[in-house]
Amino acid sequence: MTGKWLPRLGFMGALYCQSAAATPPLLEIEIRDHLFFPDVIVIPANTKVKLLIKNLDPTPEEFESYELNREKVIDGNSRAVIFIGPLPPGTYPFFGEFYPRTAQGKVLVE
Amino acid sequence: MLLNSVILVLQETLEAAVLISVLIALGRQQRHAPAWLVCAVAMGLVFATLYAMNIGIVSGWFDYVGQEVVNALLQILIVVCIVVLFWAIFHLRPIEPGGQKSSATAWFRFFAAAIVALAMTREGSEIVLYLGGFLHQPDKLPAVLIGSGIGFGIGLSVGLLLFYAVTGLARPRALRVAVYLLALFAGNMLAQSVMLLSQADWIAAGPALWDSSAWLPERSITGRLLYALVGYEATPSKWHVISYIAGFMLVVAVALHGARITKGRLMAPADQA
Repeated sequence: MTGKWLPRLGFMGALYCQSAAATPPLLEIEIRDHLFFPDVIVIPANTKVKLLIKNLDPTPEEFESYELNREKVIDGNSRAVIFIGPLPPGTYPFFGEFYPRTAQGKVLVE
Repeated sequence: MLLNSVILVLQETLEAAVLISVLIALGRQQRHAPAWLVCAVAMGLVFATLYAMNIGIVSGWFDYVGQEVVNALLQILIVVCIVVLFWAIFHLRPIEPGGQKSSATAWFRFFAAAIVALAMTREGSEIVLYLGGFLHQPDKLPAVLIGSGIGFGIGLSVGLLLFYAVTGLARPRALRVAVYLLALFAGNMLAQSVMLLSQADWIAAGPALWDSSAWLPERSITGRLLYALVGYEATPSKWHVISYIAGFMLVVAVALHGARITKGRLMAPADQA
């Protein structure tokens, strides 16, 4: 039994290490007065990234990007997580669907 | 602000309008009274409002990806309901051989109402949140309400047009058109749920299978309308395309299989006794 279990534990350990090593980098974006801060974020190519979006406005906003294939409503005074990538190099605009005239930004993948 | 309200509300309304009109046309084709719709719309409005009011709590679930998980679940449930609806249409007889009313009507009403209520919960909650945000901005509220009204009106008109187009067809063809339209809807729902789960990092996000954004950009009016109607994506991933085809094929397969059984039943006189 031990002979069977030891390699399995080793495999599980390897998986755990791999997932720990693969923890995506975290980037924060704030929404204030229907504007994104920062409005340009730079991320590495072919890497998954975790976006933490804090909506500091009292009104809800919808983070939307056709190029990133992402959309999510963020209630007023609350936060949301969106995973993006891995992506090839390029420019990926995003906007706030509820206030699109001001809430504009882009992800630069390099 | 006015134009944005028109586009936003139209986009959310269009999907529900198409779905509701096809379901009423299908119900009429199956000789079911549309009374279920009142209950479905009322439930949809209540659930959409409740969901919108609690969106902050839901979003916090599962390490801030609760919204994606709940929305994906709602969309998968819609696909299941569409499949069961067609199973009921083809496998349950409208009138039992003894002349008693069969359970087909109850099944149709329940699942058609569930589809509408689930779809309205997701789409409607976004409209509730959007409009709710302007309640404390009296200077912008009139333009937003007028724009939303126009968007809603256009969506409703498209729904009505589609309803008359489907009901105007001969019965077998109307059923076939309803099957394919709801199959497209199911494909779209399943593909969107896959996209949401990849946004939540519950499933891996793959590279885009193709890029048709130069030919038909998603942000163009046509692109946005096609997105609302059939789930157009300019840069879909492999899993997006596979899940779309799977949802579409599942509904078509259930309907085709059911149609074959119904045909066999009609042709076997012994079974009619």
